[in-house]
This record gives sequence, C-alpha cells and structure tokens, in this order.
Amino acid sequence: MLEAFVFATILCGYFGIIFKKNLMMKVVAMDVMSTGVVAYFVLIASRNGLFTPIVSGAPDGTVAAIPYADPVPQAVILTAIVIGLSIQALMLVGVMKLARNNPTLESDVIEKSTTP
Amino acid sequence: MNSLTIAWIAFPFLVGFIIVLIPSLARQLALGAALTSIGYATLTFAQPNPLSLTLLDNFGVTLVVDALSSYFILTNALVTVAVIIYCWQQSTKSAFFYAQTIILHGSVNAAFVCTDFISLYVALEVISIATFLLIAYPRSDRSIWVGLRYLFVSNVAMLLYLVGAVLVYRVHHSFTFAGLKGAPPEAAALIFLGLLVKGGIFISGLWLPLTHSESESPVSALMSGVVVKAGVYPLARAALVFAEIDPIVRGFGVCTALLGVLYAVFEKDTKRTLAFSTVSQLGFVLAAPEVGGFYALTHGLVKAALFLIAGILPSRSFKELQQIAIAKPIWIALVIAAFSISGFPMLSGFGAKVLTMENLAPWQVIGMNIAAWGTAAVFAKFIFLPHKPADQSQEKRSIGVGFWLAQVVLIGGLVAANLVYIEAYTVSNIVKPLVTIALGWLAYFLIIRRVSVKLPRMLEQFDHLIGMMSVVLVLLFWAVFA
Repeated sequence: MLEAFVFATILCGYFGIIFKKNLMMKVVAMDVMSTGVVAYFVLIASRNGLFTPIVSGAPDGTVAAIPYADPVPQAVILTAIVIGLSIQALMLVGVMKLARNNPTLESDVIEKSTTP
Repeated sequence: MNSLTIAWIAFPFLVGFIIVLIPSLARQLALGAALTSIGYATLTFAQPNPLSLTLLDNFGVTLVVDALSSYFILTNALVTVAVIIYCWQQSTKSAFFYAQTIILHGSVNAAFVCTDFISLYVALEVISIATFLLIAYPRSDRSIWVGLRYLFVSNVAMLLYLVGAVLVYRVHHSFTFAGLKGAPPEAAALIFLGLLVKGGIFISGLWLPLTHSESESPVSALMSGVVVKAGVYPLARAALVFAEIDPIVRGFGVCTALLGVLYAVFEKDTKRTLAFSTVSQLGFVLAAPEVGGFYALTHGLVKAALFLIAGILPSRSFKELQQIAIAKPIWIALVIAAFSISGFPMLSGFGAKVLTMENLAPWQVIGMNIAAWGTAAVFAKFIFLPHKPADQSQEKRSIGVGFWLAQVVLIGGLVAANLVYIEAYTVSNIVKPLVTIALGWLAYFLIIRRVSVKLPRMLEQFDHLIGMMSVVLVLLFWAVFA
C-alpha cells in the first residue's frame, strides 16, 4: 500500500517534468520525484522494524532484540539527499539567469530560441 | 598499493579545493594532478593481478582496478592533460574553470574504479554537477539552457537508477555490482536505464549531440573523450562479470554504432557530426566489452583531438568549409585524426578496430562492418576539405602554442598506443580496413556529397528526451530482462 503511494509520487514527479510547461515547475516536479525516491529508501529500510539501531540493554546486562530499521539505506539516501539539494540549487540559479531574458520561463520557447 | 589507490582517488578533489584557495597556481596544479593519474595508470598496467579493495563491510565501498579500468584511467588522464595545455594561454579561463576540470577528472576516475552502485551514483552525480558548471561557463543563455537540459536528463536518469539500486539492496543486503545476479528484472532495467542515459547509448543518448556540439571546444573534448565513458564503463564491467548480460550489452553496442553513424553521415555541421560519431564509437566500445578498454583509449584521444581542431576551423558548416581553404598544418592534424578513427594502419585506431572485430559474436559482424564503413564515409567529409599553405601572420594570431602541444599529446598517444596490439599488423588485417575506407570514400563521393537529407531533430527535444526514458525502460524490462 505504502509502496504504491511512493511509486505514485515518483510518477507524479516524472510526468510533471514532461507536462509542465514552466521551467520553474519542472524543477519543482523533479524535487517531487526525488522525494518519492527518498521515501522509497526509507520504506525499504523499515521493512524489519522502525526503531533506531542503538543497543539498549536491560540493567542486568541482557540485550533486548528490538526490531530496528536498517541503517544502510538511510545512510545512503542521506548522501543522495545532499546531492539532490545541490543540484536543485544549481538548477534554480540557472533558471534565475534564464528568467532575465525569458520572464515567462516557458521551456519550449526557451528551447526554440536557444537551439540553432 | 591500497593506500596509494585511495590517496590517488582523493588527490584531484584536494587539488580542486586548493586551486580555489590559490588561484594563481591553478594551471600548474591542475596539470600536476592530471599527470599523477598518468603515473598511476602506468603503475596499474604493471600490476599482474587486478587490485581489489573492500572498505568497511559488505555494504561498504568496493573498488577494483584491472586492465580495463587502467585503460579508461589513462584515457581520462591524457585527455585532461591535453585540454589543460590547450587552455593554458587563454586568458578567458579563470581558476574556477581549472578547479572544475580537475574535480571532473577526479570524479571520472572514481567512476572508473568503483564496483558498487552507490559509489558509482555519487561519482556520476559529481560528474553531472562539474559538467554543468563547465558547459554553463560562458554564461550565455544558450549555454545555460544546454547545461540545464543536461542536468535535468542526467538527474532524472540517476533517480531511476537509485530506485534500481535499492531494489538490488533489498535482495542482497549489499550494493556491489555482483548483486545484479539474482536481482529482480525491474532492478536491472532501472540501473541499465540510468547507465545508458549517462553513457549516451542508443535512443536514450540523444541528449548528447546538442550538449557536445554547443559547448566550448575544450569542454566538448572532455565530454566526448571521457565523461560519457563513465556511463559506458560500468556497462562493459557488468558484461564481463555476467554471461547473461553480455549479449544485451553487445546488442546495444551494435544498435548504437549504427544509429550514430546514420545520423553522422547526413549531418552538415562539423561539431554535430563529431558528436554523433561519438555515439557510434561508444557502440564500438560496447560491441566487444572485453577489449573495450583499448577502443575507449583510442577513441578518447582521437575525439578530443578532433573537437579541439573543429574549434579552430573558420566555420562549423561543411558547406562553408568547402569554400574557405583551411591552413595546411591544421589540415594535416585533422587528416591524421580522421585516419585513425577510420581505422587506417600506422595509427592505433587500426589496432583497436581489428581487436574489436576479432572479438565480435557472429551475429554482430554484419552490423559492425556497416558501422565501420559508415565511419570511414563520415570522416571522408573531413579529409576532403580544401586546404592551402599556411599564412604565417594569420596563423600566429589565431592559434596558440597550446593547441599544437595538445595535438602532440593526443596524436603522439595515438601513435604510441600502436604498441599495445602490434600483432594486428598482418596482411589480411591491413587489407580489410583499407577496403572499408576505400568503400567509405566511394560512398562519400557518389552519395553523401550529392544528397542533402535533413533527419528530423524532434527526438532531441527536451520533453521527448525525458519521455523516451520511459519507452527505453519498458523496452529493457519486457524485451530484455523479463
């Protein structure tokens, strides 16, 4: 069920990139898509449990086996989030620069005027 | 050797940051870092056994350095050196440019040694960012749009790739390439889609011609010479490791070689012709993955040389170039490079082509021979340009020493690389490329010169590029992996 929602988010972003005419909206749509991917990683990480993987023993020294979330996908997606953020920032700067000469930011107009 | 490898991977990034701190030493530092990579590549060539490293546990970073990656590393180093020398005297290039070049160099190196999906993802994304900054360096509207388009396409592809990577993790609890075996077909399809787009392979690679032709020549040389190979290398690696993936990669190789040549033959613009030829040559690399490293080396050198030459030609249209004679020294460099890529003996393009043709599967032979013939026809367009004796005064003004030094590095590399496969020089091996080239030139004079076909560029539009990814994904999933 959750998985279906995650994939719907990814697809929403993907189709947004294709069908939105405004360049700004395309960038936002890409962000939606990457949110979906991040959510999918979190979902996969929480297959076996939701708790933070910290060893917490009872006072007598026995370690309770708690159903903990897999830390590896979360660590990996943290890297991907940072990369995604920097790419987003770069794109927005590019869009800002383009907006000076193309205030409407319609991507097909920009494409037509800049392709030889 | 292990710690040396890690130090070598980190070194270019360090140099990139130092350049920003000490801008006056930018060129020297950048050149030094690229030369280090040449040294490292010679060291790894001397290693008898592949070097393999696993950092941390089964979910950590894994690296493999063997002959295949050594070839790719050497290509990267030589092309970067040539590009830095080419830009040496240009006052328009700031320290920022060199910093980005060397960071790009470092991330491409990282992509050539890592064998797990996440390190590869990070390397490919750093490549996207550095390339975007280099493309948008002139800061004109056109360059920014071309850069944005590139960043969009590659980032969407990499997001789909990430989904594939986590699907592999779900099965194996590890991100190594080895996990591709036993992974569900949708995981393999998503990962392949990402790599095909980044590598500029087949229809998912149609972003490449515009990006490579509208950038400045040194940036085009870097992109065509090495950057696209960062996507091609993992595909070749996967084909070597898994017997069941091998025919898929070879199939894509043949299709790409033919598609690229078809577009390149009818193209009327020099830089676009070179860009489409890159698409087709990447097909040659993938057509025989076990010897792809050598082919990638010769192609990287020759394509960088050609892009640098195309940058100083008086015009970009073949029609105009037929009217304006180009200076003889430039023409000679152009002809040497064009001969190498067509597979003429004496240059290493010949050895690479013979080696690739020998390692083809039987069903590939016809397709690849057609592609080789087409390549000869494409480069006849460059070889038969009119030329005149050099005009000294004009020459001095427009072309610096840097250009010639860069050509010496690249073309010298092409001649020296002959030694890799000296056994190629047998009579039958020499006759076949000569016949291919003769037929290619015949086709040029009889057909290509006279007809004017304009192939539609619709598939190169932004929306279609993104949409085409879903088509390729469906194709990969149903037709290939399932």
